[in-house]
Amino acid sequence: MSVRLRQLGALICLSVLELYRRKDLFVVFVLAAVILLPLAFFAPFGVTGAGRYVNELALLLVWLFSIVIGLGTSARLFPPEFESRTIYPMLAKPVARGTVLLGKYSGALAASLLALAVFYLAYGLLTGFRQGVWFPPVLWQAFALHTGFLVIVTALGLLGSLLLTASANVTLCGLLIVGMLSFGQRLAALAATQTVPGKWVLYVIHWVGPHLEFFDLRQRLVHEWPPIGWGVCAAVLAYAACYAAACLALSGLIFKKKRF
Amino acid sequence: MDVVRLDGVSKAFGSVRAVNALSLAVGQGEILGFLGTNGAGKTTTIKMLLGFFRPDAGRVTVLGGDPCDAATRRKIGFMPETAYYYPYLNVRELLAFYGGLCGMSKDQIRTRSEMLIARVGLTDAGNRLLRTYSKGMLQRAGIAQALLHDPDLLILDEPLTGLDPLARIQFRDLILELRRQGKTIFFSSHELSEAELICDRVAILKQGALVLSGAVSEVAGDGRQNLERIFLKVLGVAGGEVAS
Repeated sequence: MSVRLRQLGALICLSVLELYRRKDLFVVFVLAAVILLPLAFFAPFGVTGAGRYVNELALLLVWLFSIVIGLGTSARLFPPEFESRTIYPMLAKPVARGTVLLGKYSGALAASLLALAVFYLAYGLLTGFRQGVWFPPVLWQAFALHTGFLVIVTALGLLGSLLLTASANVTLCGLLIVGMLSFGQRLAALAATQTVPGKWVLYVIHWVGPHLEFFDLRQRLVHEWPPIGWGVCAAVLAYAACYAAACLALSGLIFKKKRF
Repeated sequence: MDVVRLDGVSKAFGSVRAVNALSLAVGQGEILGFLGTNGAGKTTTIKMLLGFFRPDAGRVTVLGGDPCDAATRRKIGFMPETAYYYPYLNVRELLAFYGGLCGMSKDQIRTRSEMLIARVGLTDAGNRLLRTYSKGMLQRAGIAQALLHDPDLLILDEPLTGLDPLARIQFRDLILELRRQGKTIFFSSHELSEAELICDRVAILKQGALVLSGAVSEVAGDGRQNLERIFLKVLGVAGGEVAS
């Protein structure tokens, strides 16, 4: 195994072990059970089809918790290292700063995806048990796009963790994520109706901000619509990879210049 | 070849000149006591030796290479002044993490870790999380991580902080043993009496500039003056006048 891979492995293990030891994963499992178990047994008012409202609620909570886990893990990547000065012995080792950054990012992403996989597994099993449809293609697509979403969220969290305290980072990134999920699709149309300079501000957000609404397939899942084209799915995942790569490149520049 | 070489090194942060035209060399197998008051520039110098940043002027060479290169840092072990490490790891996991960063194999890490954990006296606490460790125990864990990859040069920043008298004696024995093995030790400290016992040479820094450097026996003269008095004297503090 190459030295770089061992270094990345050590950094990833550290993040996952932290998640495990901080009991975050335990909380995730309990929440998944509490939220998703009722899906298997609950038939609201005995009305056929009303169960989809429960599915919608469950998916909303899955999204909220995935944001909490993804952002919570990535926003804490560097501030505790700076505060407790563990960054010094780390950087004194024969490891490049770029490797540290990539390892930290991969660790946060691995930890977030682990939690996400638990949520989707539980959702797939319980809806399968209730509706008799086991892991339809649209569920796989929803999971794939949700991983793309977390690829961007953790990259944003990492970037913020180099510049802000963990709480400020969570607040700022949280606002950006919720804002883009809610209004991202309508930004261009909204900008067209505004006057300068508001128009330009909205256009800048439209072009620079992460279009997280691309990754949301909840409506398709809830209403049992057919899956989207796999080409579209691949394009959206490519967008996630490019956006995260841009965030990582910017983080790399900041980390390289950062004085400890 | 000098293991550590600083040639006219200067570093400023804004209007504050932290290190000023510092020239210093440390030979192989030598223990250098790097002394100075708070804010004298010791930590800034150590950070340049570790390649955390480059000097504004002058040149830093460690083991013939640039410390900003990872290949050079492979031969350096560093123990920071106060590091709390990762509270949710035990010392074995901590060493496994740092061993991974050094690119060591699992077998190498296991062998070195067990040896070092025993050497620093943490065997009984090996499975306890670091958050339950006392400050002295954390310092021992710090020494273990610095020695993990068997470095040629050991840079210790205030290593005696928090150690009880017994641990200090054990630490002193460890340092002297490392010197016998041919390791070079760059030892930053406020503990002048310990520095006097351990170090071959001392370098005293004042406001970023080197004000005194030499063998401990030369600096302390014929034994009428101890290092503490010399230190006060070169810093121009009243206590040093007694000696003079």
